[in-house]
Amino acid sequence: MPSLNVAFPALVVARLFVALSSLPDVLKHNHQLSSPLTSFSQLQEGIYLFNHDIDIYSGGTFRHSPLLLATFATIIPTSHTLSSILWTLCDAAGAWALVKIWRARQNVASTPRDSLIAASYLLNPYIFMSTLALSTSSLENTLTLFSIMFACHGNISAALLAFAFLIQLSLSSIVILTPLLLLLITNPLSHLASPRPILVSLRKTIPLLGEITAYTLILSLVSTLVAGSWAWIPQTWGATLTLPDLTPNPGMWWYFFTEMFDHFRPFFLMVFSIHLLIYIAPVCIKFQHDSLYATFILLGVLGTFKAYPTSSDPGLFLSMISLFPETYPYFRHPIVTTLLHLHASLLLPLFHHLWLVQGTGNANFFYASTLVFACANGAALIDCIWAGLRIAIGKQHENSAVVQE
Amino acid sequence: MDVNVEREGVLWRKVFSKIKAKFSATPNAHQNRIRRQKAVVALLTHHLPFIKLALFLLGYLWMLSIPSTSLSTNTYIDENALQPAQVNTYWNWGDVHTADKYLEQLETLKLANATSFDRAQVLRKEFSKLGLSASTQEYSFSLSSGVTRGANAYAVISSPRGSGTEAMVVSASWVSLTGEGDGMLNLRGISTVLALAGFLKRYSLWAKDIVFVISDGYLDGMHAWLSAYHGSTQQNLVTEELKISSGVIWAALNIDYPGHSFSHLGIFFEGINGRLPNQDLLNSFERISRYTGGVPVTVYDHLHPQEDTMNKQGKTWIPSTIRNHQNVVSYAYHARNIVRHLNYQARGCASGVHGLFHQFRIDAITIFAVPSTGPHGFHAIGRVVESTLRTMNNLLERLHASFFFFILTGPERFIKIGGYLPSAILISVAMMFQGLGTWVDAAWVPDDSEESSQTKEKASNTPLKWRKRRRPVIPALLIMAATHIFGGSLFFILTRSWFMKNYQLLSPIIFIFFAIIPLLTLTISKPTSENAPLPTVLKALNLCFASTVISITAVLNFSLAVFFSVLLGVPLAITSSSSAAPTRALRYIAHILLGLGWLLIGQEEMKAAILNWEVLSVWFAPVICLLYVPLVLQASIVCILPSCS
Repeated sequence: MPSLNVAFPALVVARLFVALSSLPDVLKHNHQLSSPLTSFSQLQEGIYLFNHDIDIYSGGTFRHSPLLLATFATIIPTSHTLSSILWTLCDAAGAWALVKIWRARQNVASTPRDSLIAASYLLNPYIFMSTLALSTSSLENTLTLFSIMFACHGNISAALLAFAFLIQLSLSSIVILTPLLLLLITNPLSHLASPRPILVSLRKTIPLLGEITAYTLILSLVSTLVAGSWAWIPQTWGATLTLPDLTPNPGMWWYFFTEMFDHFRPFFLMVFSIHLLIYIAPVCIKFQHDSLYATFILLGVLGTFKAYPTSSDPGLFLSMISLFPETYPYFRHPIVTTLLHLHASLLLPLFHHLWLVQGTGNANFFYASTLVFACANGAALIDCIWAGLRIAIGKQHENSAVVQE
Repeated sequence: MDVNVEREGVLWRKVFSKIKAKFSATPNAHQNRIRRQKAVVALLTHHLPFIKLALFLLGYLWMLSIPSTSLSTNTYIDENALQPAQVNTYWNWGDVHTADKYLEQLETLKLANATSFDRAQVLRKEFSKLGLSASTQEYSFSLSSGVTRGANAYAVISSPRGSGTEAMVVSASWVSLTGEGDGMLNLRGISTVLALAGFLKRYSLWAKDIVFVISDGYLDGMHAWLSAYHGSTQQNLVTEELKISSGVIWAALNIDYPGHSFSHLGIFFEGINGRLPNQDLLNSFERISRYTGGVPVTVYDHLHPQEDTMNKQGKTWIPSTIRNHQNVVSYAYHARNIVRHLNYQARGCASGVHGLFHQFRIDAITIFAVPSTGPHGFHAIGRVVESTLRTMNNLLERLHASFFFFILTGPERFIKIGGYLPSAILISVAMMFQGLGTWVDAAWVPDDSEESSQTKEKASNTPLKWRKRRRPVIPALLIMAATHIFGGSLFFILTRSWFMKNYQLLSPIIFIFFAIIPLLTLTISKPTSENAPLPTVLKALNLCFASTVISITAVLNFSLAVFFSVLLGVPLAITSSSSAAPTRALRYIAHILLGLGWLLIGQEEMKAAILNWEVLSVWFAPVICLLYVPLVLQASIVCILPSCS
């Protein structure tokens, strides 16, 4: 396998080459690659309105964080070429962070698998396409990986600051806060094979929690200063909770709420939002010996069930599978998961086309393909949880079976 | 009081322990469950060859039974607003006379060998004389085979009762669809459109604009007009911009009347890339033609054998009792319609000019006047078109209620998607089973290390021991990726102009070149005894991928899925490596011929497909090069790679 020094620049250059072709124009408005919360064209529109002194959070079209708005309205111009380069470099940084996480987990300076890890992120089509469409979910992924990387290195303030930025961009990422804090007070090494109760006192997380709260408050204040009022909160964070925009996306929420009678909406919004949270405690308890794995599992939950997902959310989870090769022998149905993903990734664009371009299909077609996609993500998630727990029991002997109580 | 509390406590505990007992299974229950699981798995694996065979047979038999009447149902009108054949028509003999006059004029134009541009000018003037806003549009296609030029004429009746945001199109092309546009002229169709333009203008009941288009050539003129109308650009097409525009086109009727008179009106409905119009349009037309026009309707130009007195003998080697049996006759008639449909749809070809409308989400059909000595003419076709336009005029939203996925077996019979889809899906499932079975088998190898230590009798008594081995997935995936890149380069070569100019000479050379390259895999593969053999793993992945391709295309374009499942189903399932080199070579050659044989024997078909891709963006040629050829090449690589254990 080529060493990271060769493979990494080569992959990044190849990605840049594709990013600067005409492909991004075709993908820009694709519903699978960018949601109303992450769409680049909506960001551009917001910047235009912002520069013309129009209150962008009053119209219900702009749902990006004021931080992104400030960055792109003042520091970085939104020319298409420059953005393509920036987004690709962001992915490169994410891949680099993933390699760092891998090295921290193995506790070595470099391994022969490094370039494979980088390739698993840079060549993952779900992430790749989303970056080509300039969806800001790529930036969210990079921030997620950075906060995990800093947490693996025990770099508390950097990890928490990166995480505070991540929450500003996407509220639902708060799901991985608990395992991230646990990761900060433990270590990233693989303890999957030897589960034990957590040894460190959980009190240690309290100052960390204080720190992240402080960062979030400060960033929220900055956002308020940028936006000029608190109106950004219901438009950005509120959107993930109240689902005002029902533009189709590859997730599970939109179709359900298009079919919903209005008087049931608040109840089911609560159910869907809490559903995301109920995974935190069991996953963190079951994987308390390996918080990195718990983070990974919860990222899978987010990618499957969050409110406005794009293909890069499950993509992050799938790429992170490469960090845990010790679980591979214990996967129960990897080929089924792969085939489900193959079917889903072909059906999603085709049924989208049938519904919205050709006009012979309808919303149910696309919804059916998002269900296949959810099944694929669910199958990957369940298999990863199984393998992560199963590894502790060790190799199966003949004439014996492992039973789940 | 205390006693009560205690009793409640006991009750609560009892209920709790009962629930606990129900959910925490005893070890025995686990044993039973595992035993059951193993029994099911054993049953499945033991009967897998039988299940596969049954699925394949069932799939192919289902495919063969699609023409039988038991799967089809009668057509019906789904959209209540349409109300077909419920109006009085006003088209009369005076209008027929006008059409005859136009026909004379067109015939003098034809005899004078007028150029496209002159013709378009004459037509524009005629439209203008009727008081319509009319214009012409010139266009030119630059193709790898040369440049095609032409000119369209079109006119618009602005709706007296609407805002002009919606429109219907009545069109006729200069060349008729007879023989896929082989040069027969559609003069009567054009006369009908001209006469209709004058006639329809007299009525104030139109809620939608009516656009009349006389397109040049067969498909090229209408393609240029539609592209300009919808503002879609294409690299090799230069068109004049349209000077008159109208609203969103909802429905279009294309009139094709090549003969002197007609006996039936035929429906042509397949669009490019296999898109079909909403069935309500076809059914409304069928009802109107039958009740208002009094003209029987057929599918395409196929007459029902009972009506077709000219051509009665058929296959003479079949005994006449069987040949003339009612079920056989109707099966043969339906099968003929379905085969024609599959042929259009699988190749992604439009069966007429209407097919071009479909790409812009417009429901359109061609009304084809089946040439005959009588009894119908301008009088009947005018009334039918008038009444159909009245029906389309009733629409409040786009046609959406009825079916978009169907097979029309006869003018009044159709098969819903649930009736035909399972045939292709069953074959795809069979391939998936075979692929997964091969995948599982590749992981296991009989363990002979212990056998050597034990005595031979013992070994024969004890069941065979199995050892797990690694499967080389990465090399197999790399080979698959390479074949797809290979297919891409094949497509790149075929679409170059230097290839198209000398395609008869170059095709065999390219065939030989592309047949030899897969042999390179022989040099790369290093068989090892620890890993599973590469051909087995490649076969498993190849079958799984082919199965996915078939099941997904089945929803988009059923005919293409049928084409794939017939050509890929069995040939991919029976591939295997062999220890004898000649057997391997023979199998390899057979698969290469299956995959690339069209370079040798289907050159004209290939040329047409590439032309369709260049002009109309029909996906057939790229799909063949990028999906079909690589899949068969993978199968041929499975055959040629040496097996070893």
